[in-house]
Amino acid sequence: MARLFVEEWSPEYGASVDTDESLAPAAGQIDTTVEVDGPWEPIDGHDDDFPAVAFVDGIRRVDARLTIDDPAAGPIPGICGSFAAGATLWRRDPPRSEVESVRVERLAIFTEGAASDIPPLSHGLLYRTESVGSSDPGMLVSHFHTQMRRAEAEIALDLARSGYFVVADGPISELAAESVVGYIKSHRVSYLPPEVMPIMGRIEPGQRTPLFGMPSYKRYSWYLRLTRPAGGHSWSGIVRCEAPGSLSLAQVKVLADRTAALLPRFASEPHIDPRAPQNLVPIGALEKQLRSRLGDQHIIYRALREATMRQPT
Amino acid sequence: MTSEAVPENGVGRVLGTQHTSTSEFRVVLEDDEYLQLDDLVVVETDVPKYGGIKTYGVVTESEAVYEGASFESDTHRIAADGILPGAKVRSAQVAITRIDPELWVSPDPGQVVRRATGLERHKALYTDEMGRPLAIGLGRDGEPMFVDLDFFDGRKGGHMSISGISGVATKTSFALFFLRMLTSKPEVVGEGAANLRVLVFNVKGEDLLWLDKHNKDFTEEAAAGWDVLGVEPKPFDSVAFWAPPRARSGDVVVPDIGGRQEGVEAFAWTPREFIDEGLLRFLFTDASDTRNQIPFIEERVEAQLQRYAVDVAGEPGAVVLRDPIEGHKPGDVVTAGKAEIVIRDLKTLSEAIEEFVDPPDGEPDTRWTGRVQAGTVSAFMRRVHAGASRLGHLIRAGESRRIDRSAAQVTVVGIQSLHDLGQRFVVGALLAETFAEKERSGQRFPLSVIVLDELNKYAPREGQSPIKDMLIDIAQRGRSLGVLLVGAQQTASRVAQEVMENAALKVAGRLDAAEAERAEYGWMLPSTRARARLLKPGTMVVSQPAIPIPLVVDFPFPPWATRKEEVVADGDPFQGL
Repeated sequence: MARLFVEEWSPEYGASVDTDESLAPAAGQIDTTVEVDGPWEPIDGHDDDFPAVAFVDGIRRVDARLTIDDPAAGPIPGICGSFAAGATLWRRDPPRSEVESVRVERLAIFTEGAASDIPPLSHGLLYRTESVGSSDPGMLVSHFHTQMRRAEAEIALDLARSGYFVVADGPISELAAESVVGYIKSHRVSYLPPEVMPIMGRIEPGQRTPLFGMPSYKRYSWYLRLTRPAGGHSWSGIVRCEAPGSLSLAQVKVLADRTAALLPRFASEPHIDPRAPQNLVPIGALEKQLRSRLGDQHIIYRALREATMRQPT
Repeated sequence: MTSEAVPENGVGRVLGTQHTSTSEFRVVLEDDEYLQLDDLVVVETDVPKYGGIKTYGVVTESEAVYEGASFESDTHRIAADGILPGAKVRSAQVAITRIDPELWVSPDPGQVVRRATGLERHKALYTDEMGRPLAIGLGRDGEPMFVDLDFFDGRKGGHMSISGISGVATKTSFALFFLRMLTSKPEVVGEGAANLRVLVFNVKGEDLLWLDKHNKDFTEEAAAGWDVLGVEPKPFDSVAFWAPPRARSGDVVVPDIGGRQEGVEAFAWTPREFIDEGLLRFLFTDASDTRNQIPFIEERVEAQLQRYAVDVAGEPGAVVLRDPIEGHKPGDVVTAGKAEIVIRDLKTLSEAIEEFVDPPDGEPDTRWTGRVQAGTVSAFMRRVHAGASRLGHLIRAGESRRIDRSAAQVTVVGIQSLHDLGQRFVVGALLAETFAEKERSGQRFPLSVIVLDELNKYAPREGQSPIKDMLIDIAQRGRSLGVLLVGAQQTASRVAQEVMENAALKVAGRLDAAEAERAEYGWMLPSTRARARLLKPGTMVVSQPAIPIPLVVDFPFPPWATRKEEVVADGDPFQGL
């Protein structure tokens, strides 16, 4: 009979796959004429006094690495992990933020379509078992990540429908709702062709680049500056945003202007956040809260080990 | 942080991110509740293998913080820009007063904390265990707070010590408030209530000379406070006022007092009383007097005076000094010879003594001086002369004008007009008289309460004096003799330790900041000490052996006048003049 084991290896091992990279298109495939036909000039943002903004984000953690010891098929790798997704809601008047819509899910994921229920755990912990068809262990974390993104997208959609202007951390996905803006902090690839590149040194906080189109599935994108950090280069203090291609150009321009005007006020400071200024204050705070909602890693790990040890041999 | 299903009176829950202990815990408050300092709370905990216990406590600190703020500047991000989610969390620190039944385990985190009211309030304050609870003021909740009288009247402890800076008139006011409670609750005081006598010294101003008059500033609000305490707000109804006679007023004896004329009697001692009761020693009350041989010669002179003094015919209270070899017996009355000095006051007494110890022509009589140095004799005589000029008017022949402490329940002796030396003399003489009377009877009842302000002057920590010895004696033995001292001082650290240590009830009003840090106030909680410098008039901290933590009480404004201007003019014969 197949038996479930919790591996001694640290759960973090092999977990650092940047799963959002795959969403980024290759450089040089963009359309710079979506908004402006001609040379690029910085565009001033416009704060349209939108009353409420939702910052949506999620975090995940691999709680343990699992192995199903199948006498016939040999060892089948799996992971179990927890993720939390939620939103910081900012209201303009009076200016206050709060964390809401938090969801915590715990998953056990196995390769090769295998599945094994996690035995009952103490502290009321409950893991849902899923499996991926592939035999590639790298797919485990990827699947886990996708599940978190799905939860984030659901929260974003829900909030957008309730009238919030939603800024979601990371690129938008196919699941993104119509009025959701994706917020990308890091620039591993510059999408701009050389002829428009000089604009990056000239946009100031509160301004943005003209919109540009992205291939693969259709998205609008633009850069904006949060701050001009002392001693920074022309790209420091810059973030990229995305909006769904299903929107009209006029709608996206409103969203883009709003982000350019509004987001600088949420920028974090370098002595407080190592990812400043791009890691916005509401998102940083949300991540901190979400992490505490995941529960103590050691308690969970111990509960998993206890439960698997108790199985009949 | 509103949580569900908090029962009635629930104000919050025991904090779970910190260890609770058997001495303190923290309460995280509900959004729509508050706790202030001195509030009483109770928590129920289910102890495995034992069952339910209730932990009672008093709030010692109240705190609030933004949860989610990790940097100080986050305050702006939360409160001004609103970009950082942060929740205001208010909490209160609770010092545990009691666990009932007494099982010394800490309360569970997450338990609902309730305000202690009704019976639970009494439990928190141990009132249910007090033999004779006497209300001693009002708590923050407007309900009475109690002391166990067993710890005042000598059954389990005695005496009260009141500390506080001067000028806010709290020490004397509280002492009088306490007396009012004591004299108004015979059902609590019990057998000691009958013939309870109080001796109060008025040492400054004339604050205490209006205790029998209504206060025109008395308010409805204050009346409500007295109502809660169950005492009718009215002036003391049995008070006698005594003042020293005015100096240099000739044969007319008029009380030396400014504001009040009617109802005040002048007191004095005759030379006969002075000698018989050994009051001479109270002329040597300066702490420096004991550093040389003066007490030696003083004791000798005192003894000799008692042997030599003979009453003079036709002059009550006056004496002449004759050698006992001449054969006079106690009670004899003689006619003074021409050359004899008739002792009618302190001046003539000092002249008569000088004849023996330092005659102008001849050698000192060693039966009177012993073998002390001539310098010591001069020092002794200098002090007797000084006494004659400063308090000579307190000693005069004639009919007895002793203070009659049995005439009224409260006897107020106004010594504010006297020189320091005179004040110490009167206090010493009256303490000695009271104590000697009780020592003779050997009975605890009737109780005799003595209220003395500026105790540091009479029983200073450093040095020796007959009054200090007297007060230490009262502090140590008075409890069993029914002599109870209510002492007040600005600084407890300057009062003789034996006197402080024997006071079972310790009370403090507003304290000087440096004073509050001293070991003498170790009975206060750190938070109470910090607050002691901010206490308002009418608020006191009370410590008693029966409760492990000090109580903060308010006492209501007095219905009696404390100044002439406050006296209700009704019935004043001089009204309109």
